[in-house]
Amino acid sequence: MRDTVMPNNIPYAISRYSAEELKDALKKMYLIRKFEEGAEDSYMRGLIHGTMHLSIGQEASAVGSCMSLTDDDKITSTHRGHGHCVAKGADLSRMFAEFFGKESGYCKGRGGSMHIADPSKGNLGANGIVGGGLPIAVGAALSAKRLGTGAVTICFFGDGANNEGAFHEALNMAKVWNLPVVFVCENNKYGMSTSTERSTAVKNISDRAVAYAMPGVTVDGNDFSAVTEAVDAAVERARKGEGPSLVENVTYRWRGHSKSDRNRYRTKEEIADWQSRDPIVAMAKLLVDHKISTEDEVAEIEADATRIIEEAIAFATEGDNPKIEEVTRDVYTKGAAA
Amino acid sequence: MNMHSKTDLRELSYAEAIREAMDIAMARDERVILMGEDIGVYGGAFGVTGDLVEKYGTDRVMDTPISELGGAGVAVGAAMTGLRPIFEFQFSDFATLGMEQIVNQAAKIRYMLGGAVSVPVVMRFPSGSGTGAAAQHSQSLEAWTAHVPGLKVVQPSTPEDAKGLLLAALEDPDPVMIYEHKILYKMKGHVPDGYYTTPIGKAAVVREGKDLTIVATSIMVHKALDAAETMAAEGIDAEVIDLRTIRPMDRDTVLASVRKTGRLICIYEAVKTLGVGAEVSAMVAESDAFDYLDAPIIRLGGAECPIPYNPELEKAVVPQVPDILEAARNLAKGRV
Amino acid sequence: MPTEVIMPKVDMDMAKGKIMSWHIAEGDRVSKGDPLFDIETDKAAMEVEAPADGILHHTAPEGMDIPIGTPCAWLYAEGEEVGEQPAPFAGQAGAAPKPEPVEADVPNDTKSVEAELELVDAIAGEATGKVRATPRARSLASGAGLNIVDLIGTGPRGRVQELDVENEIALRDTRPAPLAAPVTFKAETGALAVTRSKGGTGTPIMMIHGFASDATSWAPMEAHLKHRPLIRIDLPGHGKSPKLRIDSFAELVREVRRAFDDLNLDAAHLVGHSLGGAVSIALADTRAKRLSSLTLIAPAGLGPDINGDALSGMCRATRAESLGPWLRSLVANEDIVTDSYVRLAMAGREDTNLRAAQSCLADSLFPDGVQAFDLRAALERIDTPTRIIWGKQDAIIPWKHALRAPGKMALHLFDGVGHMPQIECSAELGRILSSSL
Repeated sequence: MRDTVMPNNIPYAISRYSAEELKDALKKMYLIRKFEEGAEDSYMRGLIHGTMHLSIGQEASAVGSCMSLTDDDKITSTHRGHGHCVAKGADLSRMFAEFFGKESGYCKGRGGSMHIADPSKGNLGANGIVGGGLPIAVGAALSAKRLGTGAVTICFFGDGANNEGAFHEALNMAKVWNLPVVFVCENNKYGMSTSTERSTAVKNISDRAVAYAMPGVTVDGNDFSAVTEAVDAAVERARKGEGPSLVENVTYRWRGHSKSDRNRYRTKEEIADWQSRDPIVAMAKLLVDHKISTEDEVAEIEADATRIIEEAIAFATEGDNPKIEEVTRDVYTKGAAA
Repeated sequence: MNMHSKTDLRELSYAEAIREAMDIAMARDERVILMGEDIGVYGGAFGVTGDLVEKYGTDRVMDTPISELGGAGVAVGAAMTGLRPIFEFQFSDFATLGMEQIVNQAAKIRYMLGGAVSVPVVMRFPSGSGTGAAAQHSQSLEAWTAHVPGLKVVQPSTPEDAKGLLLAALEDPDPVMIYEHKILYKMKGHVPDGYYTTPIGKAAVVREGKDLTIVATSIMVHKALDAAETMAAEGIDAEVIDLRTIRPMDRDTVLASVRKTGRLICIYEAVKTLGVGAEVSAMVAESDAFDYLDAPIIRLGGAECPIPYNPELEKAVVPQVPDILEAARNLAKGRV
Repeated sequence: MPTEVIMPKVDMDMAKGKIMSWHIAEGDRVSKGDPLFDIETDKAAMEVEAPADGILHHTAPEGMDIPIGTPCAWLYAEGEEVGEQPAPFAGQAGAAPKPEPVEADVPNDTKSVEAELELVDAIAGEATGKVRATPRARSLASGAGLNIVDLIGTGPRGRVQELDVENEIALRDTRPAPLAAPVTFKAETGALAVTRSKGGTGTPIMMIHGFASDATSWAPMEAHLKHRPLIRIDLPGHGKSPKLRIDSFAELVREVRRAFDDLNLDAAHLVGHSLGGAVSIALADTRAKRLSSLTLIAPAGLGPDINGDALSGMCRATRAESLGPWLRSLVANEDIVTDSYVRLAMAGREDTNLRAAQSCLADSLFPDGVQAFDLRAALERIDTPTRIIWGKQDAIIPWKHALRAPGKMALHLFDGVGHMPQIECSAELGRILSSSL
């Protein structure tokens, strides 16, 4: 992994971003954590149906990757997409409302956990199909290039998707057409139960970048600064017309694949080891160490996030359910369903 | 009969009509791009894109790698973010490789996202048998996509409709799948000049009659019309409906005809079971037109068999004019 | 009590037998043990003997399937009254046999799958009371007030289709009213119209006109018979007579006989034309003592042939244009049927109820253009002096029927004359009649 510390010993993120931006990033990480915990709690209380894929432990990857993006830039996300959505600036109340299946949710209750999206912030949506977002991200990048918008697309995908044919086709085309897209692989070690060691021929997924003649780098995905440094560089290249890059954020999901996961494929020790490297604790320490925030301020940020989540859950709880008679609305743009 | 000016009576082939539609669309809208395998200097496997690359350049007439899934997905992503891509599958059979993007993404994104995003992508599927290309290059799989809410599926049978439906598809904010029959590419027909659209979701009564209704799609429309002329000489007056769009289906036109004739044959090249004919039949059976039926409904579709290579076998597995005649005679004479 | 002759069980698994031929004719005497009929079963053909002495009556038709143990004829004792058949044959209409699907009598080797299906369906349909019919046929039938079960399906497997319903509707609209309850004319009651001439002496001449005509048709001939009292009777549904419901020739005769009896004549010379001639024969057969002579002009009743088209054409005609051609077919020289004559004739037929009554009468007496009554035997019995007059160009009833008359009767055949000698050669007829009265 690359050294994430600048020559003057100041981490990249500290030198690159303002105190406000960094505190906002910490807040987003807390929001992700609290959102996931609130979602898990709601699930256990029987307040929602369906399952969910929690990204607790992966907050630095989501927030760090999006640091240099504007609302005009796009992301495509995955089934484990709550964090990306928060990182891209979504409203927590509408996210929770969607999670609760309410008309006031981002998808008006039609999408749920796996499809939460906020296109107004450039989020083209989470995706229930592993690898489904890869070609779509290339398409978004094609639009940006063709229309000259200057926008960059970040394509989040997991280690599982790197073995899909879509990965090959998408990365190949992105490079053939030299499109402004950054492929951010969140390698959380397991595709459901199957480890990358058992599923993937190369040691690092970023090694595959060579096959597409694009830069590839693997970083500690739990290190906020390392993530921002790698992704920002890739975004910069894309913006300058230098084409796509592949960044691999090595991270870990603390929870199971989904709520039905009994964690039989990994040890408690392994989980505990990764939990000891909590990206939020590390980020808070980074800010305190570099005097961006005091510990009290960090506590305030966390308390603020907790309050926002409580309000979001209240908003979602109070929201109206969609009308049954409108179930086919939005299948097509105009008129009734065919 | 409308009065046509001289230029209105010009004839184009089905392929030329599609190309003209793409040309017109690209000229009037910068957002329109073409994507597909070998559509550039090669001109498309069936020559449909022709020399458009010379006029619009490789930025807008994009040869994709042989990546049906990726290519379809790129088209979907581009459509979501401001472009109006027309994606050509080289053969409709190859769309099976891109089904993920068609079925899970293009069809559902708008709905999954609560209407926040549309996917105005147009996909073209050269399909059908008759070219000696055997089982993996001759299928008619339109019912696959027609089964998916969120998609619109059209099957033009004439050069005029091929152009009009393509331009209509580009105006449509939702994904439109166009199944073109390969044998029709060379068929000539009258194509109006300039910009016009053929409405999606509207069937055409291409021959009026009172004795029985033939609902046909794509190339079968022509076979049905051939058969209808022979039948007319025998005193059987067949009404022929070109369905044109199979999703959403033009219920009103079909039901009105069945109410009139009381007899229905559905003819399509795709495998007979679980296809367009089943849908048309069920639509009639579930409607008030049921009360007007004076005989069982007949479906004529492809055999329960992959398309074989031998030319005689190839002909045998899809409905031909004599098959239509036999079915129609039996139906008209109350023998079924 | 007559003795039943039953279809015997002659084979282990025989369910029914077919009578191939009767050895004895209906009404003939047979002795016990005589060969009576041959039967054929699934396996064999064999002879069945008479179970008793007697005279054979009510035999089942040959070729008919008869379940074992059920009667196929009756043997009557000498002098025993033969009434109605004691019981219908099993399998005959009205006998309501139970369907026996497993015994369905279709040879296996020639039975196509389709036929088998048809059979099974037909039987199943009978059993369940369900009718195979298309939705369109059902809705049409229901709209027309028809019961789908009453319709005969001509489609595959007996399916009732649109065409079957349309045919039934068309049939219902054109079918003559059933005999029992005619709906096409308003039936009346009352005595027949009888008119008498003034003056004349001696035995009266009574005249009965023909079908679709009336008493006025005698006028040309009457001019030559003024010396006698003349009595004219209008047939039911004709002229001034009421439109009676007449379902048979016997009923027609009954009505005319009543009118004749009411006249209380001691004697009369009877003249009848065409249908009136037939009625006259019947009258002469039963009222011989009161008739001095019988004159039959082109009489009906002596053979089956009759010009049905002309009869129905005249009944149908609603105006002079359509009546004219038929009237002209009545005579040899068409010139005598002038336009004014036709208009006059039509005026007498303007009453639609009259035309309908005549249509019904024609349907009873001349169904399908055939004379349904035969008076040759009656003619043989008549001893009253009788003469028959006919035109050799008669296009309605062939004059050759006259040749069937017994030799004791006089025959006058006119060349160049059609069906109306009383008009076409009225003077001649007048002379013939006068000379012999």
